[in-house]
Amino acid sequence: MGHAKPLGGKIFTPPILFLSALFLISAYFLVLRYINGIGYVSNLTDNQSWGIWKVIGVLVGAAFVNGGYVTAFFVYIMNKGAYHRFVRQAVLFSLLGYSFAGLSLTYDTGRYVNLLNFFIPKYMQPNSALFEVGVCITAYIVILAIEFLPALLEKIMPEGQAQGLAAQLHGFLNKILFLTVAFGVVLPTMHQSGLGQLAMLFGQKLSPLWQTPLISLLYVISSIFMGFCIVTALECVYTSNFKKKEYVRLLGTMMKVAGYVAILYIILRWIEVVRNGAVGQAFVFDLKANFFWLEWILIIVGLYFVRNEQARFSPKNLFLGASFMMSSGLLYRLNSYIIGYQSVQGQSYFPSFPELMISVGMFALQLVLFVTIVKIFPVMEKE
Amino acid sequence: MKIKRRNFLKGIAGAGVGVAASPLLTGKALASEVKKLKPNHVGMLYDATKCIGCKSCEVACKKANNMPIEYDPAGIYDAPRDLSEKTLNIIKLYKGPEGTSFVKRQCMHCVDPNCVSGCPTSALNKTENGIVTYDKDACCGCRYCQMNCPFNIPKFEFNDFYGEIKKCELCRTTSLIKDGQPACTAACPTGAVIFGTVTLLLAEAKQRLKDSPGDYIDHVYGEFEGGGTSVLYLSKIPFEKLGLPNLPDYSQASLSEGIQHTLYQGLIAPAVIYAGLAAIAFKNRSGKEED
Repeated sequence: MGHAKPLGGKIFTPPILFLSALFLISAYFLVLRYINGIGYVSNLTDNQSWGIWKVIGVLVGAAFVNGGYVTAFFVYIMNKGAYHRFVRQAVLFSLLGYSFAGLSLTYDTGRYVNLLNFFIPKYMQPNSALFEVGVCITAYIVILAIEFLPALLEKIMPEGQAQGLAAQLHGFLNKILFLTVAFGVVLPTMHQSGLGQLAMLFGQKLSPLWQTPLISLLYVISSIFMGFCIVTALECVYTSNFKKKEYVRLLGTMMKVAGYVAILYIILRWIEVVRNGAVGQAFVFDLKANFFWLEWILIIVGLYFVRNEQARFSPKNLFLGASFMMSSGLLYRLNSYIIGYQSVQGQSYFPSFPELMISVGMFALQLVLFVTIVKIFPVMEKE
Repeated sequence: MKIKRRNFLKGIAGAGVGVAASPLLTGKALASEVKKLKPNHVGMLYDATKCIGCKSCEVACKKANNMPIEYDPAGIYDAPRDLSEKTLNIIKLYKGPEGTSFVKRQCMHCVDPNCVSGCPTSALNKTENGIVTYDKDACCGCRYCQMNCPFNIPKFEFNDFYGEIKKCELCRTTSLIKDGQPACTAACPTGAVIFGTVTLLLAEAKQRLKDSPGDYIDHVYGEFEGGGTSVLYLSKIPFEKLGLPNLPDYSQASLSEGIQHTLYQGLIAPAVIYAGLAAIAFKNRSGKEED
C-alpha cells in the first residue's frame, strides 16, 4: 500500500477539452429537458418509456464500473495482494460511474424531486426490484466514497507525518476496511441481480431470447466478467506499466478468470434460450435475432483473443479480448431493455440527437473527472 | 485455515447459485404468494357483442374526470386514436376476416398488478375494493409501470416539465362516489359495459356463455389472464385481435416477488454472506499473501 502516486502532467490536454465541449452540448439539451419535459428532447413514448438514458446511465454505467467490485473481491476476499495495485483506480472509476448513474435518474425520471421518496418509510416498497436497485446503488456510492477517501487523505497528509486528523481518519478507515469491503461485494451483487430482476416484470413484452426467470443471475455473472474486462482495458489505456512482464501476467490471470466466467454465462444463457423454445426465433434474422447473434460474435471473438497463456501474454490481445467481451455484456443489457422489448406491434425506437448527446456528454464528463483525478491524487501505481 | 476459507467461499457460491437457480427448478410453484380476488372487489364486464360503438362512455369519462379534448393527427375534434395521457377510456373497432367488433379499453385493474408490484415508491396501490390507484405525490416518474404493464395502460405526460402518470381509476373520486358507478358504465345505453362486484360479473358472463353459446368465444377474458383482472371481456372475435394479449394464468408479479422473497427473506441471506465476507477480509488484513 501507499505506492500510488499522482500521475501529474498537464490537465487541459486536447482530449480533455474535446470531452468538455461534449459535456457543454449535453448541458444545453439538459436545460431544454427541464424546461419543456422529457418528450421535448427525447424519442421516448408511452410504448418505449425507458430508452438510452436508462440503458447507458444505469445499466451500462453500473456494469461498466464493476471493476471496483471484482478487484475488491480478488484482493481482500481471495487474498491476492499482488492485485492491490488495481484497486484504487477501479474504485475511483466505480465511484464516478455510480454517481453518474444516480445523476442520470434526475433527468430520466419525470418527477425527480420525488426520488427522495425512496428514503421516506411510508413510500418505500420492498417488493419492487427497482426500489432495491435504488437503495443498493445509493448505499454503494457511500461505500465507494469511503473506499476512495484514503487517496484524498494521502494527498493532504503531510509527508511522513502520522499525526493530525487526516492521519487518524486514514488509520481508522484502514482498520474498518474489512467491513467496507464486504459491503463492496454484497451491494453490487444485490443490485446487479435487481437490474436483471427488473426485466422479469416485462413478461412477454421481452422476447424469449432474453426473458427468463434466471435473468437476475445472468446479470450478476455477466457483471463479474465485465468487471475484470474493464480493469484490464483501463490499465492498457492509462499506463505503460504493461511493458513489465510481471504486470502482464497479473492482467492475464484476470482475463483467464473472466474467460471462465464468460463461458459459464454462455452456457446458462443457451440453456434458457433452449428451455424457452426460442431457438427458432434466433434464426428468423430480424432485428432482435441479429442483435442476439451480435452478442455471441462479440463474446467469442473476445474469448479467442485471450484463449491461452501465450495469447494472454500480449498486452494487445488482453486489451482486445477485454474490449470485445465487455461489448457483449453491454449489448446484453441494451438488448434486454430495448432491442428485445416490444409493447405493441411495429414499435420502433431510436434515440433522438439531443437524447443521445445528453448520455454522451455525461459520459464525457465522467471521463474528464477520472483523468483529472488520477493526475492530481495518488490513485495509480507508477513505477 | 486456507482450506476452511476456500470451503466457505464454495459454500457461499453454492448457496447463491442454488437460490438463484430455484425458479428454474420450481417454475410456477414459486408463485406461491398469489394474490386472490376478494368478494368485495369491484370491476366491469364488457360484452363486445352488445357494444354499438357510440362512444358515450368516452365522452362521459372525459367529463367525469375533467380530461382535456384530444384531436386526431389530422386535427379532427375529440378523436383520440388510442389511450393517452388525455384519454383514459376508448372504444376501438376491429375489422378483419373474423368479423367486426368494437372493443373498450381502459385499466384492467388486475388482481395482482405488475405496476403495483414494481412501483418503487408506492405510487400505485390496490385498494380494499380492488381499484388500482395512482398517487402523484408518491410517484417519482420512473415509468417502470409503463414498462411492465401487460396491457400498456399507464400513460405519462411526456410533454409536461413535471409530468404525471394518467390511468383509469374507476372514477373512484368522481362518479363512483356520486352515482355509485363509473361514468362509462352509467353512460352506456346498451348495457355493453356494466359495473359490479367481480364475482357477480363473472357469474353473469358465464350465464351469457351458457345461454347463447353461438354468440361468443367460449371464454371469459380476465378470469385467469395474468392472474386475473377486475375487468372482464366477452367477444365473438378472438381476444388477441382486440388487443388483449394472450397471457399465462399467473401474474408476472407473483413470479418476480416469489424469487425476490426467496432471496431476501428477512435479509437473512445477504446478512450471512456479508458477515462471512467481512470475516474473511478481517482475517486477510495481515496482508500475508497466499498463492
